[in-house]
Amino acid sequence: MLGLFGTLNMGTRSLATQQLGTEVAGNNLANVNTPGYARQRVQIQTSITVPSALGPQGSGADGVGIAQLRDVVLDRQILSEASIKGQLSAQQKGLQFAQASLGQQIDTAGSGGQHGIAEEMSGLFTAFQSVSSSPTDLAERQILILKAQNLATQFNQVGARLDNVAAGLNDSINVDTKKANLILTDIAKLNGEITKTEQGAGGRANDLRDVRQTQMESLASLLKFTASEASNGSVQISVDGQTLISGAVLSDTLETFDSGGGKLLLRTTTSQTPLDAAGGTIRGSIDSRDTDLASVRGNLDQIASTLISRVNAIHSAGFSLTGSTGENLFTGTDATSIKVNATVAGDPRLIQASDTAGAAGNNKVVLQLAQLASESQAGLKDQTLSGSYNQAVAAMGQDLSSINTQIGNQDIVQSMLVRQRDAVMGVSVDEEMTDLIKYQRAFQASAKLISTIDQMLDIVMNLKR
Amino acid sequence: MRVTFNTFPNGLIDQLSRLNTQQNGFQAETATGQRITNAEDDPASVRRVLDMQGETKTLDQYQRNISRHQELASASFTAIKQSKSLVDRAAEIATLADGTKSPETLKTLGIEVDSLLAQAVQLSNTKNRGDYIFGGTVPDKEPFTVTRDASGSITGVSYGGNTELPSSEISEKVLLSSQTIGANSTGSGGRGLFVDSASGADIFQHLISLRDNLNSGNAAAINKTDLANLQKDENSFLFHIGTNGVVQSRLEATTAIVKQRSDSLTKLVSKEADADLADTLVKLNQTQTAYKAALQSGGKILSQSLLDYLR
Repeated sequence: MLGLFGTLNMGTRSLATQQLGTEVAGNNLANVNTPGYARQRVQIQTSITVPSALGPQGSGADGVGIAQLRDVVLDRQILSEASIKGQLSAQQKGLQFAQASLGQQIDTAGSGGQHGIAEEMSGLFTAFQSVSSSPTDLAERQILILKAQNLATQFNQVGARLDNVAAGLNDSINVDTKKANLILTDIAKLNGEITKTEQGAGGRANDLRDVRQTQMESLASLLKFTASEASNGSVQISVDGQTLISGAVLSDTLETFDSGGGKLLLRTTTSQTPLDAAGGTIRGSIDSRDTDLASVRGNLDQIASTLISRVNAIHSAGFSLTGSTGENLFTGTDATSIKVNATVAGDPRLIQASDTAGAAGNNKVVLQLAQLASESQAGLKDQTLSGSYNQAVAAMGQDLSSINTQIGNQDIVQSMLVRQRDAVMGVSVDEEMTDLIKYQRAFQASAKLISTIDQMLDIVMNLKR
Repeated sequence: MRVTFNTFPNGLIDQLSRLNTQQNGFQAETATGQRITNAEDDPASVRRVLDMQGETKTLDQYQRNISRHQELASASFTAIKQSKSLVDRAAEIATLADGTKSPETLKTLGIEVDSLLAQAVQLSNTKNRGDYIFGGTVPDKEPFTVTRDASGSITGVSYGGNTELPSSEISEKVLLSSQTIGANSTGSGGRGLFVDSASGADIFQHLISLRDNLNSGNAAAINKTDLANLQKDENSFLFHIGTNGVVQSRLEATTAIVKQRSDSLTKLVSKEADADLADTLVKLNQTQTAYKAALQSGGKILSQSLLDYLR
């Protein structure tokens, strides 16, 4: 038998338990929009039983813990998908910049022009044709110089833009590395707090774990890492086999270093071990810079250098209207350095169109230059100059298009995972409101128990009168 | 699946953003009339369109080259035709100059022949756009220069040009020259217009000889040699008129071919790059309907909760 005072005590504990229920429901409602928050539930258990003449008798209920509803498998899956998404997005960004840098758009409605380098390249070869049909016409020669200058400028501009994009990617690698270091510091600190909290009062440090999971997801979008939880609740984090966080200790941080040619890569600060980020935006930026952009850039330089050497080889053997010979049409060696030879640019008569001195109407050299347009070049995998450029544009477009598709698929995977996780840990206002009513009613009932016991005590007290 | 407070808004945001992306794409297609604009849209098509547009530019240039050739050919034709009528007149004079004519009459005819000679020299130095057209690849120097005696009569005409002809492309790898060599004394290669050693044509020398024979009253020599020589000149001009005609008709034919090829390329580009407007508009409509439905249903669901029914 609990006795009247025992029952009164049970009523008090019951009030406290139901109040805790409303408090947790209130906390869930307050955090309904908090990112990374996992809903919590009060765990209520019957109190210890008391032996009685009739057998063990219940003594009410107690709140024994506040549990969090999380799915570890889903959390892990979301971390690894975040790395993939991060890498793809960074690559997509790099390629989109490359596409914009080339400025190669199709326009069939307006001028029907090709824009960009393709347009200027056609312009140069048609100008060669024009000079070949009127070799003595200075106006045609002047147009040829202008077209050659346009093409050279276009090469220079696209080259400079691509260099800028590469520099921008280096910047984002730097920024992302700094961000990763800040997150690593936070996670180490959270590890310490979680261990301390869980060892001291017991139970789980739910809210701290929520924050740590959110931080880990941010880190995963920057680089791929492996995380393993120790028995004391701390998480060990290592990148490419190098441990960065062990317990509450941040044993190493990340830094970037110049691997040559201004190409930044990732390594650890203390042990200076080069790391493969293996995923995330850092890896995506590195890939984009060293693979996608480098290939566009390489193609462009190859085309420019082939154009320079082939045009110069033919042009320098010719004779100008003044009889001079041996001058190159272009100077420079690649897309960045290509320029029209200043001597020729200053005087259209100096274009060496003829293959014999003193024959102004001879167009054999400029005709050869015009026919260069349809000549396949060994240095360009047996494609023509403009064919090779068009192929470079198409290859870049192919890369971007395939990344776009991959990102589309990745978005579907991620949104499915997020929806699944939301189903497990998301707060439902309807549920919480129902819980509130449930706990409120139980609270009212417990209060009724206390007032009933009070009345019974009153009766017992009045027995003496 | 358990649906929570944030499932609806998150799902709605995803759906709306996907529909927005689609609407944006269809709208851009409708506005530009193009299925592809950037390389990422359809890399293989973009490559083909770029190639075809490049080819169109080259064809346009061939058209311009052909026009230039036509201009040169017609300039040459005018000069050749006039030279031919000049030779006809000279032959007429040579026929008139028989033994029955008095020396005075012959001398008068000689004056006319002298003026024909001057005219022939002028025609041989015909210019087009500032260039001499009968000097081979030396258009900047007078191809035919005259030597005169003390009285100022022309005694010889020498050729300063060469026997090379500049040719340029009228379609891929097809080279054509619409010019004619003024003189060829080498006996091989292309035939010279005014002087050609292979066919024996030399209008200047023959006119000089006719004039001199008329002046000296040597009707027999005129009858014996000059008439036959002038016949050679006439044949030479007839040959060149024929050749010029062939060149002009070839230019006409090539223009038609180039034009046809250019038209078919335009069609191919359009097939590759143009949006199917009917299809795009229907899809745009579908997307817009879905967008409206998503907004409406989302708005209704989001505005309701258990709270509406609790007091």
